[in-house]
Amino acid sequence: MTDYKDSDTDMREERINALLDGELDDEQAEQLKREAMGDQALARSIIEAYQLQRAMEGMRVEKAPASLRRRLKRIPREQRPAYLQPGWVTAFAVVPLLVIAVALMQRRAPEPSPAPSQPREPTAAEVAQARQDLAVAFAYIDRVGERAGNEIELELAGEMTDAVAGSVFRTIQHQKIL
Amino acid sequence: MSREYRQWVRDYQDQAWNLARYLLKDASEAEDATQEAFVKLWNHREEIDPGSIRPWLMRVTRNHCLDRLRRRRPEQEFVGYETVEERDPMHGAEQSELGNWLQRAIKGLKEPYRTLVVLRDIQQHSYEEVAGVTELSLTQVKVYLHRARKQLREQLAEVRP
Repeated sequence: MTDYKDSDTDMREERINALLDGELDDEQAEQLKREAMGDQALARSIIEAYQLQRAMEGMRVEKAPASLRRRLKRIPREQRPAYLQPGWVTAFAVVPLLVIAVALMQRRAPEPSPAPSQPREPTAAEVAQARQDLAVAFAYIDRVGERAGNEIELELAGEMTDAVAGSVFRTIQHQKIL
Repeated sequence: MSREYRQWVRDYQDQAWNLARYLLKDASEAEDATQEAFVKLWNHREEIDPGSIRPWLMRVTRNHCLDRLRRRRPEQEFVGYETVEERDPMHGAEQSELGNWLQRAIKGLKEPYRTLVVLRDIQQHSYEEVAGVTELSLTQVKVYLHRARKQLREQLAEVRP
């Protein structure tokens, strides 16, 4: 493309567009109007430029299709590293819980008791250990809950109407509850 | 951060989609190009100045579209769903659908004219922002835009009394 300064046409276009963009001061605008009075081609160009500007301002920006909206919304989830994908998150959370549960069950296995009618009082060390186990278990449950919350929040973003049923269902599917 | 991303999607998805649609003239490809741009936005979200998200996204969308256009074989450079008859300005005039005709006329412009008209005249970006998106100087933006508008005006004059 050539340098516009070499072209009279481009200079004229520049002035017309400056007029439309409101970039001419009063004196310059008056000057252009005076020239247009004696130059039919220039006058016609200005009128056509106004018409075009009006027509383009009236063109509305087309809305992105629903399929694209859904694709864009899924990007944060799809771009997460593989080890943070919902299936793996659940697996990582469930394994320690299972280990804790088994350990607790083994600890509670029946021991020979001289007086079966009276339960044995736990020792202070056993109580402390049980509290610690419970705290660990609750911490894992909290983490799972937080992950699930984030997942639901992500799914529910924007469109609350159909997303409520849809995202809960998908979350359930991800967590493999059903 | 994902909350901010969702806000960007809400604010800019229509503009990015429209630019891609005008450039590629193919809805399916435009969706792919827009998605690629938003994936890039998500992956670089920490590095982008929050005040420059829109020009950044529009520039990336445009670059993805131009890459796709370059990869097309010449025979693939079609006008999408439009037929030759539909591209005829008189056809548009007879239908009295100035907007539709104008849309097709804009799609008929060459680059960078097409991008400039879409960004400045339809989406009303500032000249500075348009220059940033297209990586042209402010003077180039104005000159090319004048030429693009002149082409459209001349075509419009043919279909209007």
